Amino acid sequence: MNEKKSGLLIDNLARQGVSRRTFLKYCATLASLMALPPTAGRAFAEALAKSHRPSVIWLSFQECTGCTESLTRSHAPTLEGLIFNSISLDYHETLQAAAGSAAEAAREAAMKENWGKYLLLVDGSVPMKDGGVYSAVGGVSNYDTLMASAKGAAAVVAIGSCASFGGLPKAQPNPTGAVPVSELVKDKPVINISGCPPIPVVMTGVLAHYLAFGTLPELDKLGRPLSFYGETIHDRCYRRPFYDQGKFAKTFDDEGARKGWCLFELGCKGPVTYNACATVKWNDGTSFPIESGHGCLGCSEPDFWDAGSFYRALSLPTTPLEKVALGAIGVGAAVGAGVALSNRAAKAKAKAAHQTATLDDLEK
Amino acid sequence: MTRLADIPVVMDDGGLTGSAPAVLREVAALLETLCRTGETASIDLRGLPLSLADRRWLLERLGKGEVDIALDIGGGSRIAETAYPGVWWVTHDNEQGVQVGEFIEVSYVPELLAPHPEDVENGLDSLKTRISELS
Amino acid sequence: MDAAELLNWVRGPGLQIAIAVFLLGTIWRLIEIYSLGRKPDLAERRHVPGASGWHTLVRRSIPIPGMFQRSTITYVAGYAFHLGLAVVVLLFAPHIKLIQDLIGLTWPALPSQFVDLMAVVTLVAMLVVLIDRIRQPVKRFLSTFEDWLTWAVTFLPVLTGYMAARHLLLPYTLMLSLHILSVELLLVLLPFTKLFHVFTVWPSRWFNGDIQGKKGVAV
Repeated sequence: MNEKKSGLLIDNLARQGVSRRTFLKYCATLASLMALPPTAGRAFAEALAKSHRPSVIWLSFQECTGCTESLTRSHAPTLEGLIFNSISLDYHETLQAAAGSAAEAAREAAMKENWGKYLLLVDGSVPMKDGGVYSAVGGVSNYDTLMASAKGAAAVVAIGSCASFGGLPKAQPNPTGAVPVSELVKDKPVINISGCPPIPVVMTGVLAHYLAFGTLPELDKLGRPLSFYGETIHDRCYRRPFYDQGKFAKTFDDEGARKGWCLFELGCKGPVTYNACATVKWNDGTSFPIESGHGCLGCSEPDFWDAGSFYRALSLPTTPLEKVALGAIGVGAAVGAGVALSNRAAKAKAKAAHQTATLDDLEK
Repeated sequence: MTRLADIPVVMDDGGLTGSAPAVLREVAALLETLCRTGETASIDLRGLPLSLADRRWLLERLGKGEVDIALDIGGGSRIAETAYPGVWWVTHDNEQGVQVGEFIEVSYVPELLAPHPEDVENGLDSLKTRISELS
Repeated sequence: MDAAELLNWVRGPGLQIAIAVFLLGTIWRLIEIYSLGRKPDLAERRHVPGASGWHTLVRRSIPIPGMFQRSTITYVAGYAFHLGLAVVVLLFAPHIKLIQDLIGLTWPALPSQFVDLMAVVTLVAMLVVLIDRIRQPVKRFLSTFEDWLTWAVTFLPVLTGYMAARHLLLPYTLMLSLHILSVELLLVLLPFTKLFHVFTVWPSRWFNGDIQGKKGVAV
């Protein structure tokens, strides 16, 4: 059948043994995850089925490959994986077979062929210090590669916290002058899928949205898809009732911890972290960190490495105050003593200058 | 290996929040639309702030009908008719058996049951091929 | 500077500055005030020394006859917002955690719903005293810039704290940052404005009572 050799996504999936019903079900749950109305699930499926394989170029800069691991690793061949496989991944340093100049040639060919239409996925931050010498591929700095590739892209997707906000490479003192993608690419839509690593389905959701409707989903102020980053971990946490009741675990092995009480006092960053972990969960829906008894690190927020210890409660100062406090008390005491002495002197002077009034004075 | 679901945990069902009766009224409204115009609809239960108690209340009120279908489509799915014809309770599990979607569908035949016309045509083609191979 | 950077600043350098100014100013002013001293009083006391001082602490906390009817709003709203502030500041779990971290003392918290309610009571009471101050000609006449300023820096932490906890208007991260920032502003201004009464109100009442007692007018 000729039709089956087409580049349509649905045929692609069919070749891999994914039935239309499975696909419909997947679209319904994906629409549900993205907070689209149930009717959108059907529209999603219709549009997605008819879409062609988009060309995707994936650039890796200052990163640890954890994002790629997150997106490609699952125990069973899930639909996320299959959709990911059915895109035309024309360049990915970790996943592609080609190497060296052949790989670079493949990227250039894909760019030329799909100029203006391909999706540019970036993981890792871009070093800008000293002319960007700290990270280069084939003698070309990350900055030059990014700017050249972004020129012909339909949109740029920053995968992970490094590409989105600078991440670990940008942590103080930021030795390489790392910056996020959005600081460099200004003339194309940039969508941030933050997290260290990000949740796989979030990336598939964004890709599916783009494939189905040709647009990017609604974004928050930090450029993240609102449907996944619209609420905090704390808001959707199953331990939230304990926070409201003031029941907190004080250590990782006390009575409260065993009873599954709130981890706020153990440094959970859930209240200031926008991500979908509490609802989508990890490892094929098994659990998320708080379910395993560990607080949220806040990895999908900017500069989470520099927000003090992971184990200090949010309401606490990030830096010790003892030195400053002692210093201030010392200086305050000195100033107070100085003012006290000056007041005493003024008083003594006034006393010395005091003259008893006589009857003559009063009659003046 | 012990799975999370196997560890006995006393679950707080959250109590009734008052959302469930509203869902029931919406189902009635959708059913009325179905009768008059034939338009189908569904409610995404995971998109609503329902507590476990709310969900149980809804299930009890909707009751059990005559049809209960198990589907094996990328993990198990179940489509069960409620006591009200045309109202279906649909749940989707992933390959690991974790529930990933829950809907109330209001339609004459649940969307997932009817095969897609293209698939039927493809099926017809392959059946014809089979028959031609007979001779 | 985005919300996360602001939060890091107010939890780090901002807090350092605020605590430094607060402690410096407080120690300075306490030493200054208590070193002023008094002339030795050689007259024989009429009552047990100090008794009138302690008595006045209680006496001045209760309205004198007739005053409650004349200034009902001042008494009711004044008490409500002071007590509300005490509950919100001292019995909210994250605040207790902060106090424990700073000085090591800790005590049980109240449920956050109750603290929420007290925050609303405090806000309403503070608005009432503000409106009263504007509407009453005498109060308005007596008010200086400092009175408006101290009202604002007390009101803002409660308002931003409540809005952060209830997720109103702004994202939580930004609201929490603004909340901490407003508390830091309060800390910086406290030693140098009439807000210093948190340290001086009880000692000055005691001294007043004691002096009156010595003069034979035990109150």
